[in-house]
Amino acid sequence: FTMGYKQLFLLYESASGYALFERNEAEELASQLESVQANIQDMAKFGKMVNLKAFIPFTDPENALENINDVSEGVLNKLLEDFLEANLPSTKKDKKAKFAVGVIDTRIGNAISDGMSVPCISDPLVLELLRGIRLHFHKFLDGVKEGDLTQAQLGLGHAYSRTKVKFNVHRADNMII
Amino acid sequence: GRGGGKMGGGSKVVVEPHRHEGVFVSRGKEDALLTKNLVPGSTVYNEKKVNVDGPDGTKVEYRVWNPFRSKLAAGIIGGLDNIWIKPGSKLLYLGAASGTTVSHCADIVGPEGCVYAVEFSHRPGRELINMAKKRTNVIPIIEDARHPHKYRMLVGMVDVIFADVAQPDQARIVALNAHNFLKNNGNFVISIKANCIDSTVDASVVFASEVKKLQQEQFKPKEQLTLEPYERDHCIVVGFYRPTKKAK
Repeated sequence: FTMGYKQLFLLYESASGYALFERNEAEELASQLESVQANIQDMAKFGKMVNLKAFIPFTDPENALENINDVSEGVLNKLLEDFLEANLPSTKKDKKAKFAVGVIDTRIGNAISDGMSVPCISDPLVLELLRGIRLHFHKFLDGVKEGDLTQAQLGLGHAYSRTKVKFNVHRADNMII
Repeated sequence: GRGGGKMGGGSKVVVEPHRHEGVFVSRGKEDALLTKNLVPGSTVYNEKKVNVDGPDGTKVEYRVWNPFRSKLAAGIIGGLDNIWIKPGSKLLYLGAASGTTVSHCADIVGPEGCVYAVEFSHRPGRELINMAKKRTNVIPIIEDARHPHKYRMLVGMVDVIFADVAQPDQARIVALNAHNFLKNNGNFVISIKANCIDSTVDASVVFASEVKKLQQEQFKPKEQLTLEPYERDHCIVVGFYRPTKKAK
C-alpha cells in the first residue's frame, strides 16, 4: 500500500464541510489491512492512526448544496481546491510529490490529480481508513456532537433531493404523455 | 371516518409490545401489527390509527402496519427471528419508494435513531420528501443506489441496511452501500423478488444464488424466510456484515 509515498493524506467530504486527515506512520501500527480493519473500531486506536489536519465548514445551506452537487459529479470546485492547496505540502512543479491524497471516489481523485498535480489513490487501505473516519468523524471535531452532523445531513438531504425532483419534473411528465 | 378510525372504539383494544422492540400488536376483534406514531395525529398513506390510554391518563397513538403493503411487516408476521431495526438504530433504507414502510421504520427507530431513505424514481421521491418533512428522523435521498458515492456526503455509518430495490444486480447494489456505510458487525435485511432477478428458473434457485453472491461480499446470512401468503416468490434474508469473531 501507498508505495513510494512518504505521507498519506485523506480527504473526507461531509454534509458539514471538507476535512483533511493525515495518516500517522507509527511503527506499531502495521499497514496490514486486517490490523487496520480491527483497529478502526476503537477510537483510542484509530485516533492514533490518523489525525485531523484541517476542516473547513460550509458557510450556509446554499454553499453546502453547491458543494454536494460538485462532489457527487466528481467536480473539483474552487472551495475544495483552495482548501487542499492551503493544507497539503507544497509541490515543486517539476518534481514528483512525496505525498498522496486518499479519496473515496476515483472521479474526484482524477479531478484533483488533473487540476492540482497531486497524486490521488483509493486503494483498499484508503477505503478502510475512510470507513474509520466516517465511523468516528464527530469525535475528531471539537464541540461537535453526532447529532449535529445528522442535522446537517438532514438539511442537505432535503435540499439535494428537492433539486433532483425539480430538475426532472418536465422530463418525467413528458415520458408519461 | 376513513383513515381516522379508532379500532374497537379505544378501550376495548389492548396494545402489547411485540417481541421486536419498537413494534406493537393490538389484540381485539382482529390482531394487527402496529408502530407507535412518531407524529401523533398524522398519517402517511391513509392507514388506520389506534389510540389507547397510556400511563397517567395520557393517550398513546399507534399506526396499523399492513403486511400486504410492506414486506418488512410481512417478514415480522412470518416470524423473522430478528429485524435488527430497533429504537436508536441508524438505518440505510434502499428502495424507499414513497416512504410507507420507511415511515414505520422511522416510528421504530424513534427520535434517537435515523433513517437514510434512498429512492431514485422522482414521483414516489416527491411523496418521500413530503413524508420526511414531518418525520424529521428521515433523511430523504433522491439518488441512484447504484452510485453510493453520489450521496456519500449525506450518510454516516449505519447499524442496519434494509434493501428492497427489486433490481437484477441488487446483491451488488447492497454490497456497494455496505462497503461504504455499514458498520462492521452491522446487519442487513434484504427483500428478494425472484422474478426481478431471473424469471426463467425456480424462485428457490434464485434465492440460493443471491445468498451465495452476498456471502462473497462479506455478508453472513443467518436466516431466510419466504413471504407467503403476503407476497409470491419473495423472500427476506437477514444476517451480519463483516461479523467480528466474538459475535459468530
